[in-house]
Amino acid sequence: MHSHVDAGPAPAGAAGPRRLDRLGLAMRASHLLFGFLALTCLIFAALAWRTGDVFYLRLATEALIFAGLALSVDILLGYTGLLSLGQALYFGLGAYASAVTLKAGYPVSGALGAAFGLSLAASLVGGLIVSRVRGVYFALITFGLAQVAAKAVYNTRELGASDGLIGVPVMPIHLGVATVSSDSPVGFFLFTLAFMAVLYGAVAYLLDTPFGRVLIALKANERRVPYLGYRPERARLAAYVLAAIVAALSGALYPMLRGFVSPELLSFTTSGNAVITVVTGGAGTLVGAFYGSLILTALRSVVGSWTSHHLIVIGLLFMAVVVLFPKGLAGFARSWVEDRFARTGSL
Amino acid sequence: MNAPILEVLGLGIAFGGLRAVDDVTFVAGRHQVTTVIGPNGAGKSTLFNLISGAMRPRSGRVVFDGVPCTGAPPHRMRALGLGRSFQITSLYPDLTVFENLRLATEILEPAGRWFLPVRRSRLALERADALLRRFELTERAGSLAGALSHGEQRRMEVAMALAADPKLLLLDEPTQGMSHGDTQETAELIGRLGREVSVLLIEHDIGLVMQISDHVVVMHQGRKLAEGPPDAVRADPAVQAAYFGHA
Repeated sequence: MHSHVDAGPAPAGAAGPRRLDRLGLAMRASHLLFGFLALTCLIFAALAWRTGDVFYLRLATEALIFAGLALSVDILLGYTGLLSLGQALYFGLGAYASAVTLKAGYPVSGALGAAFGLSLAASLVGGLIVSRVRGVYFALITFGLAQVAAKAVYNTRELGASDGLIGVPVMPIHLGVATVSSDSPVGFFLFTLAFMAVLYGAVAYLLDTPFGRVLIALKANERRVPYLGYRPERARLAAYVLAAIVAALSGALYPMLRGFVSPELLSFTTSGNAVITVVTGGAGTLVGAFYGSLILTALRSVVGSWTSHHLIVIGLLFMAVVVLFPKGLAGFARSWVEDRFARTGSL
Repeated sequence: MNAPILEVLGLGIAFGGLRAVDDVTFVAGRHQVTTVIGPNGAGKSTLFNLISGAMRPRSGRVVFDGVPCTGAPPHRMRALGLGRSFQITSLYPDLTVFENLRLATEILEPAGRWFLPVRRSRLALERADALLRRFELTERAGSLAGALSHGEQRRMEVAMALAADPKLLLLDEPTQGMSHGDTQETAELIGRLGREVSVLLIEHDIGLVMQISDHVVVMHQGRKLAEGPPDAVRADPAVQAAYFGHA
């Protein structure tokens, strides 16, 4: 694919293939930031293991799980240009599917399979509705769907109603080479990290395919998409289903960590937090979901130990980030990495 | 192979009481440049929207390359072999020139490539490269489309329409806002394109129309006023009265 150079002598500093493909370049920058984050997590895990900490490991594991929800929001918001205010619907669906499956005595793989299958079916149905609309209508319909689901769960005795489901058993997770117990703080943290790395990798891969480029085209300029040969509703539906599966698979880990699920998981607070997480971390970066979730969780924990009014502090910080770093924290860092890549012309 | 690429029969649509396109019939020949002219508000862009699938006609028929396709949506018209450009530039400003073109050529890849990395789309990449050379955008390949000059963006607009290897190109005022030099270059380009693919053009620049068109359709207040070879149309008294403003 170097044939463009054949057209004539390339001028000094001409675009090499890497510079031609800014999306690919940006994705590589995200990968680098994700690698850095994973490394930091590993160091943190080693330190926590040495000091015998449980609390912060559990908290960090939870942050990673909610990062998965934020990742699913980023597929819609950052790449397809759709604001979902009800992504907790699928996160909660995955969590409940997982809790019910585990309580019935099935292994972790069964819980993940249930979350996958249910979210696929539910998002295909929900997607038929929401893929017809965009903008504020998309936001409101996703919000409405999640509210309906949350109320339904809240009023279903079989699902524990307002109390949720408690007593999800501790499960061994067989990984071929090793077996991790879901109540091992270090083990489950590392499992969650690896699980999220796979989700991140899968989403990043898909966004780098022609399919992913059509999603990006929807965000950048939907008007032209039909004339390029694609149906915007179909592409929106595919993005919605993909995001739902990512959210549900992340949610499926929640009852393994906490041993219970509650209707709170489907609430607007959960959906809204995911949006705030993505915007803080950087929409359209994938990796921003992880930075956003870890940073916000750390802030909540630290500020929360100083004052009970920690939401005020978090709110002010969020506004500061939006004003000072409109691309988000990881988005800001990624731009810098991208520039370095572009200048050196290599990774 | 002498059958027309596009047949438009009695096409019409109304917005409220306004008959934006009213009973328009014409034929666009294969490997020819057919040009639609007319004053602002004559219904030219609406006519394009009816043909390309942006709007459904209320009456009439469209036959593309022998296939009846009245009211077919844009993605189906693309599959039949229609490419269109927009009067108001409609690119992907935040993507590079190269990425824009690859996005537009990607549909040529077999469906099996849908979930493989874009760099594997060899056909799309080669075609995007060829378009860069042809439209003299190779040096700008790595620039964001939004950073191009107006003239370059208008050229991109044509390149995007041509990207998916159409049989018929619908070009909606491709030279709008261009400098005189750029307009002349674009005219030559369209003239050459007309021999490879078929071109249906909306154009305001009468000099350009006369220079490159094989067939001219004149529209006025939604209706077809006249059609024929450029010289005959120019000499038509009705056209002179309505369009050139003198008889």
